[in-house]
Amino acid sequence: MSSTAMKKKVLLMGKSGSGKTSMRSIIFANYIARDTRRLGATIDVEHSHVRFLGNLVLNLWDCGGQDTFMENYFTSQRDNIFRNVEVLIYVFDVESRELEKDMHYYQSCLEAILQNSPDAKIFCLVHKMDLVQEDQRDLIFKEREEDLKRLSRPLACTCFRTSIWDETLYKAWSSIVYQLIPNVQQLECNLRNFAQIIEADEVISHYQCKEQRDAHRFEKISNIIKQFKLSCSKLAASFQSMEVRNSNFAAFIDVFTSNTYVMVIMSDPSIPSAATLINIRNARRHFEKLERVDGPKHSLHMRMR
Amino acid sequence: MGTYRRIDCIFFSEFHPTLGPKITYQVPEEYISRELFDTVQVYIITKPELQNKLITVTAMEKKLIGCPVCIEHKKYSRNALLFNLGLVCDARTKTCALEPIVKKLSVYLTTLELESGFISNEESKQKLLPILSTLLEELNVTGACTLPIDDSNTIHLKLIEQRKDPLVVQEYDVPVFTKNKDHFIKSQWDLTTQQILPFVDGYRHIQKISAEADVELNLVRIAVQNLLYYEVVTLVSIFQYSNVYCTTPKVQNLIDKKCLQDECIHYVSKLGQRTNLRDVFQLYCGLTPGTTVRDLCSRYSHQLQRLIQFGLMKGLIRRLQKYPVKVVRDERSRPPRLYTGCHRMSYKELDERLENDPNIVVCWK
Repeated sequence: MSSTAMKKKVLLMGKSGSGKTSMRSIIFANYIARDTRRLGATIDVEHSHVRFLGNLVLNLWDCGGQDTFMENYFTSQRDNIFRNVEVLIYVFDVESRELEKDMHYYQSCLEAILQNSPDAKIFCLVHKMDLVQEDQRDLIFKEREEDLKRLSRPLACTCFRTSIWDETLYKAWSSIVYQLIPNVQQLECNLRNFAQIIEADEVISHYQCKEQRDAHRFEKISNIIKQFKLSCSKLAASFQSMEVRNSNFAAFIDVFTSNTYVMVIMSDPSIPSAATLINIRNARRHFEKLERVDGPKHSLHMRMR
Repeated sequence: MGTYRRIDCIFFSEFHPTLGPKITYQVPEEYISRELFDTVQVYIITKPELQNKLITVTAMEKKLIGCPVCIEHKKYSRNALLFNLGLVCDARTKTCALEPIVKKLSVYLTTLELESGFISNEESKQKLLPILSTLLEELNVTGACTLPIDDSNTIHLKLIEQRKDPLVVQEYDVPVFTKNKDHFIKSQWDLTTQQILPFVDGYRHIQKISAEADVELNLVRIAVQNLLYYEVVTLVSIFQYSNVYCTTPKVQNLIDKKCLQDECIHYVSKLGQRTNLRDVFQLYCGLTPGTTVRDLCSRYSHQLQRLIQFGLMKGLIRRLQKYPVKVVRDERSRPPRLYTGCHRMSYKELDERLENDPNIVVCWK
């Protein structure tokens, strides 16, 4: 028997200025990359709650990375910070000139995690990759990944290369969140069935991954929807749904469940919109049931905006 | 003034982009321990919700009073400048008077930064250290400080002692100077006060002062209330021969404290005629319920008023008032709204009413 909402604590740590708050703002607070330039330094820890499908609530701890704060986390705030952690996301600035110091802090974190939350999953993001020359990126990332995996032993860590200026950010965060969703396999299976039934090419709910298409499509889609939403809010209208058509395809974005939107892409433009929309509507109830782990449905609270 | 508001330390703290919150300058050096700062830093360099507010935090037997400032601008690294100039006192110190000082300093620094980048410029920031030194010393010694910062800016600070709210002054109250009237430079007072001053003699009550000085009654009340606030006058009741007084426990002070005795003799004695303590004390002790001033008049007449006045000022005696209380329920008698033990009356009025209503009992308290 599980509670009506599953809460998972996610620590977001890393040196000052490495990009933690910028990432968080883009993924969870509807910022576009350019807007993050305006952000101020994070003082101590900023808490936020994000609701996900599967009735999951992520309790995100964005920890300021200045020396004074870091030292505090390892000493007087140690228990408070490092207990009950489900996921540690550690951010490295690829351009950092103080590699030794970075590693030292990282290892102190691991030590504290080992003591307080030994089962936590560790993710390392090698960030600001856009500042590295394109032809160097793979090499540098591989080097860093090797170092980090070695340094993290006996704990295991998963590494991603990221930048706020391309889709790698979404890829990393969706992989991380994906591992946290309780009934993810079931959801995926159902989405696949749904796609088949309505003869869609692709059904995207949140951040699903399919190899063969344009690797940048998720970022592009996110950006398009984000811009559209921002334009809507300028007119004091709230975004509800969207339909885009041309001779090659039709794409539908609509409210799906209480925590999600759905995007359906049909490459047969002869199928009338109404048909697809009815199908989406009918599928809704089924997916809503899936979202509910147990107990009554929660009223909607702070969602991705 | 002593330990009343002594400042033990004055500090300047700021947020460094990579080091985080730190104390850049403090006078005296090393006063705030590493441990203390770690404990309270989140209230010194604060999250946005607490910025630009006066914050006092007590920890490890110290009180820190500061006002965290945030100046947002993209020219600063991390888009904002965060700093806090604060004071440290012992935890038991009463620090109300220091709060306006801290607030004012935060405003000064903000202005300096906005005008000329005083803080963000490393060179000019160094001037803060001698400024802090001077502030600490002058505020502790004289309670005021005037300090030029640069060609166009000077800091003016003064510690204002907070006093209790004064009583409301009634028409029948008599103001009497607690200090020698002649010690005050009259031209420094406002015009109303100057006009009524000659009539404040310890005998005239407010209404009389208003009539004789030709100043509107409410203005007199306010002016006297002002003098009361600065503890320059105190209020006593009108002297009447029908008054009844009794002693308070403080009368013992007249026996115990030599300085009070001297003060009393000095106050009461007339030219050429020195009073002795025994007589004075005997008179005070002679004041009891049932004895009016008239009864004692025969023996001490020429000094009586001064004696009563002194006794009231120093709280050695207090006046007894009459409070009528209706005891018998009688529909035919006058409506009893005044006879609840809460309204006092003049002798004459009371006498009249007492005549007319046998169901009234008088209570002296």
